[in-house]
Amino acid sequence: MKTFEEKWTAWIDGELNEAERAEFEASLENRAAAELEKNQTLKLGALLKEQLQPRAMGNEEFFHHQLRERMAAETKQPAASSSAGTRESWWTIRRLLWTGATSLAAFAICTFFVLRQQPAPDQSQYLTQILNARVDPSVNPNATISIFQTKEDRVTVLWVDGLKSLPSDYAAK
Amino acid sequence: MDTEATAAEADVPELDLVRQAQEGNPEAFDQLVSRFRTRVFGMIYNMVHNEQDAWDLAQDSFLKAWKSIARFRGQSSFYTWLYRIVMNVTIDAMRKKQVKGGGAEFNDEIQLREIDPASRTVPHADALPHERMEHKEIRGRIDAAIAQLSPEHRAVILMKEIEDMQYHEIAESLGCSIGTVMSRLFYARKKLQNLLRDVYENV
Repeated sequence: MKTFEEKWTAWIDGELNEAERAEFEASLENRAAAELEKNQTLKLGALLKEQLQPRAMGNEEFFHHQLRERMAAETKQPAASSSAGTRESWWTIRRLLWTGATSLAAFAICTFFVLRQQPAPDQSQYLTQILNARVDPSVNPNATISIFQTKEDRVTVLWVDGLKSLPSDYAAK
Repeated sequence: MDTEATAAEADVPELDLVRQAQEGNPEAFDQLVSRFRTRVFGMIYNMVHNEQDAWDLAQDSFLKAWKSIARFRGQSSFYTWLYRIVMNVTIDAMRKKQVKGGGAEFNDEIQLREIDPASRTVPHADALPHERMEHKEIRGRIDAAIAQLSPEHRAVILMKEIEDMQYHEIAESLGCSIGTVMSRLFYARKKLQNLLRDVYENV
């Protein structure tokens, strides 16, 4: 018993032994006020005891009848499921494993195709268009195209040399 | 311990009934229900202040006891063990109801001055006989005061003051320490004294 609340409660309920009681009472600053408080607590207890006596339950027979029915339902339910339960548990585990593996495989396949079709996230649509473009040697025989790219700065420089005319299908969209 | 069973049924020791119930005998469990139903119902009613709710929660408590009676090892009395189930079921239901209702109840900080003396929880003096009216009025005041306590504080004060249970029995029933029981009892009493001082001083 450590806290004041615990000691006080034990004092009210007469749960302290002689030594504890004497020690606690000596520690009280105002013994008379504490005794008054104790008296009031005891009055409260007496009032509650008098007023809150258990009330009779109505329809006791129906209470038992209803409870027996619920108990019977509870007893039947586990009995019916227990025989099939052990057998089904293995099926359930295997089914779970199979479903998990299938889902994982389907996810891996989808991810592979999606990633193959998508451009790199830091590569714009226009850059892809430029990189895929080829200069027609009949139109621009001496043309050279160089690309310098700094990914950290997100800068791409396209160096075009010897280009006489822009291909008709090369306009920016 | 008061019983409600017939004389013949009352002759069977409680532990024998428990053992039979553990072996799946519903009649034995039915006798246990007969012995404890009034106390269980009364305790729940004092917690929830609603007869239908108390009935349903008593049903749920006994059903839960039936389902888990195989786990009763006899380390405490059957009644203490049963009370633990009753308290779990009741406090859980009260918490759920509080969440649904917006959580206005159980404010341990509410003081007497915040309770309207003319509130609807206090029955009016109609044409009832004087004593009956007084009793109803007092009961209404007590119910209103207890309703201000948290479920745990209600449980502690009711088990101590109404059921005369020992600290360790209350602690076992609520799954907490004896120190916690004593501390809760301290605050619950203080709160009720503030709310009911005029009642117990004038009765």
